[in-house]
Amino acid sequence: MSRVVRAAVFQTAWTGDKESMIQVHEQAVRDAAAQGAEVLCFQELFYGPYFCQVQDPAFYEYAERIPDGPVVKRFQALAKELGIVLVLPMYEEEQPGVLYNTAAVIDADGSYLGKYRKTHIPQVKGFWEKFYFRPGNSGWPVFDTKAGRIGVYICYDRHFPEGWRALGLAGAEIVFNPSATSRGLSGYLWQLEQPAAAVANEYFVGAINRVGVEELGDNDFYGTSYFVDPEAQFVGEVASDKETELVVRDLDLAKLREVRDRWQFYRDRAPGAYRPLTAP
Amino acid sequence: MSTALEPALSVRQVLTLDRVLAGEPEVVAGAGHLDRPVRWVHVAEAPDVGVMLSGGEMVLTTGVLLAGDVEKQAEYIRSLHRAEAAAVVLGLGRAFPTPPDVMRRAAERCGLPLVVLHRPFPFAELTEEVQSRLVRRKFAAVSLSESVRTALTGLITAGAPLQRLLDEIAVHAACPVVLTNLAHRVLATAGERSAVDDVLRDWERIARQAGGSEGDGWVRAELGGRGERWGRIVLCGYRGDSPIGRLLAERAAEALVLHRMLGGPAHSWEEQSAQGLLTDLVSGVVPARQLLPRARAAGLPVNRRTFVPLVVRDGEPAGLDRVLRLLGLSGLVADLADGATAILLSLARDQDAEALTAHFAARLRTESGTLGTVVAAADARTAWEDVPAGLREARHVADAVAAHSAAQDLPAVVRLKDVHLRGLIRLLRDDPHVQSFAERELDGLLCGRHAEQELLPVLRTYLATGRNKSRTAQLHHVSRPALYRRLEAIQALLGVDLDDFEQAASVHIALLAHDAQQG
Repeated sequence: MSRVVRAAVFQTAWTGDKESMIQVHEQAVRDAAAQGAEVLCFQELFYGPYFCQVQDPAFYEYAERIPDGPVVKRFQALAKELGIVLVLPMYEEEQPGVLYNTAAVIDADGSYLGKYRKTHIPQVKGFWEKFYFRPGNSGWPVFDTKAGRIGVYICYDRHFPEGWRALGLAGAEIVFNPSATSRGLSGYLWQLEQPAAAVANEYFVGAINRVGVEELGDNDFYGTSYFVDPEAQFVGEVASDKETELVVRDLDLAKLREVRDRWQFYRDRAPGAYRPLTAP
Repeated sequence: MSTALEPALSVRQVLTLDRVLAGEPEVVAGAGHLDRPVRWVHVAEAPDVGVMLSGGEMVLTTGVLLAGDVEKQAEYIRSLHRAEAAAVVLGLGRAFPTPPDVMRRAAERCGLPLVVLHRPFPFAELTEEVQSRLVRRKFAAVSLSESVRTALTGLITAGAPLQRLLDEIAVHAACPVVLTNLAHRVLATAGERSAVDDVLRDWERIARQAGGSEGDGWVRAELGGRGERWGRIVLCGYRGDSPIGRLLAERAAEALVLHRMLGGPAHSWEEQSAQGLLTDLVSGVVPARQLLPRARAAGLPVNRRTFVPLVVRDGEPAGLDRVLRLLGLSGLVADLADGATAILLSLARDQDAEALTAHFAARLRTESGTLGTVVAAADARTAWEDVPAGLREARHVADAVAAHSAAQDLPAVVRLKDVHLRGLIRLLRDDPHVQSFAERELDGLLCGRHAEQELLPVLRTYLATGRNKSRTAQLHHVSRPALYRRLEAIQALLGVDLDDFEQAASVHIALLAHDAQQG
């Protein structure tokens, strides 16, 4: 019995200021809703540049409260107006000096469902994230939205299979992986890791990456956002590697059951043997 | 590239040569490795032969220096394995009456084919036979490589289009040839029509086989340059030897890269592919049904979809494609002839085609910054077979809009019903009855002298302004008495009374039909 969710992701380039960036994303919500999309996820730190190319405290001001900050409020109203679930990856300030790389999840009626805080924080050239973020402490929440059970796993998190699995165990049907990743660094992994995670955990993955080169560094963000199904097949084409693009795809969640019935990875996993994985 | 040029027979092929069969060969170990290439045949009786090899040799021996020493026998096999020999052939009789067990076991462990000859013959006959075959193959490969390169380079320097290049490659390959971008979208094909269609029908599945094996005749070569990969060329079901297939694919890839670099970015291969497809659809030369595999392979979703044919005048395909991406709409964009750009949207069945068309047209105006952009739309089609008629209808509407004096006042989306009489006339302009009607009605003005032909614009303005004489005089910069004289001349030449509504309407329709013929 098919159960189709029309899902969307949006990749774009840094416009130069926060307000116009927010407006571009508001328009994307309208464009997605016009197509009947039920859920839309933005790119990592969606309304800012990817400031982790440098280590500069000036960028702390991009952080907002979740859910009480103005950006979340603004998109809650839009979600309600258009009846669409939104995933907003953004810079979060819990209190001054306590900052996270977070994604807020808004349901189709505008209500705030909760947040996921990025767990694994990189600190390598061009990705100086430890300067800006504490490691997340939200665990592995899965949000029961109007468009299905949704998990979020942010950027660098994707290199760690454990979190993908935790989201699967918590019942995620679609996991979004908002990212900011650059050509030279991860190009060869981008179409390998998330499809592998989709297969291992038997759910859909929506991968989002920004596009363009920004003024803060040489990182060439290569877009190519996509949805991939539990058999590691891309759903439709992969997005452009240079242009702003809204990717709207119909995901048939019946495939999740079909694939799980075939493979039974959840039945056959052996948690009793995994103790070494959690040894400190 | 050197690998492609390396001629080789497989161990299996050597064993099937008549001269070898006469020696009653028996494979006693390493039977799973008979497809290894044999680069050379080497006769060697030395126990330390391994140090003399450079890999890929078939070593022939009688084992005369190995008899009686099992340790030496095992080490002999191991040293050949370390030297990456292709196989070892042992002539029975002189040293060993039967296959020596130690050598057989060692060879099996290393995966080295060990062949015994039950009726040994002079090894020189075998080396001569194999060597001459290898040299002939090498010469044939070099010669093929050169002739393909010469042919393709000739085409490129003559400015041949991409399709011509692919056709040439398909002639050499004698199998369907497919050019794709990195997203596996088919950009162009060549080869026998029905074979190409068979390949495209199953393209989704084929494209997903990452890498793929060459054993089944699928030969791929990557296209790229300046550190960037663009796509790949695939020989689909190449029936010859795989080294030759690889060589062909590599020559083809080199030529395509050169073609693209010289061709510049004027029209990307993606654009050319969409253009070929949409032009074929509009022309109706190829039945729509036959174009469906091509559309699917070009990345257009076609299963259970609604198709919306649109035409924009003076649009720029790259810009229109950008707006489609921005809105997340699936579609193909391409220039047709005469400055018209066609867009074929593919929507899910539950989507509102009219609303999304309006949304697209509105966003096109804001994104392109030109408020006057008009999108000519045909009604949405759910059957693929109806798409060509839809595209033609959209083009008629766009033509009618272009001829419209007040195009800037039109809404962002215009349909046949919005262009009223002009739309009808556009649709009927190829009808001989309409053509002869226009000729008949305007005969006096069209066939007359130069001065009489100059009356045509006056008539056009007079009718377009709703027979407003003062406005017509003003627009033509003449006095009213002068205009009256011209109108009288027109009426006399046409034999009509323009104050009579029906007669004026008839002349007006004839004039619109005449203009549609010209446009």
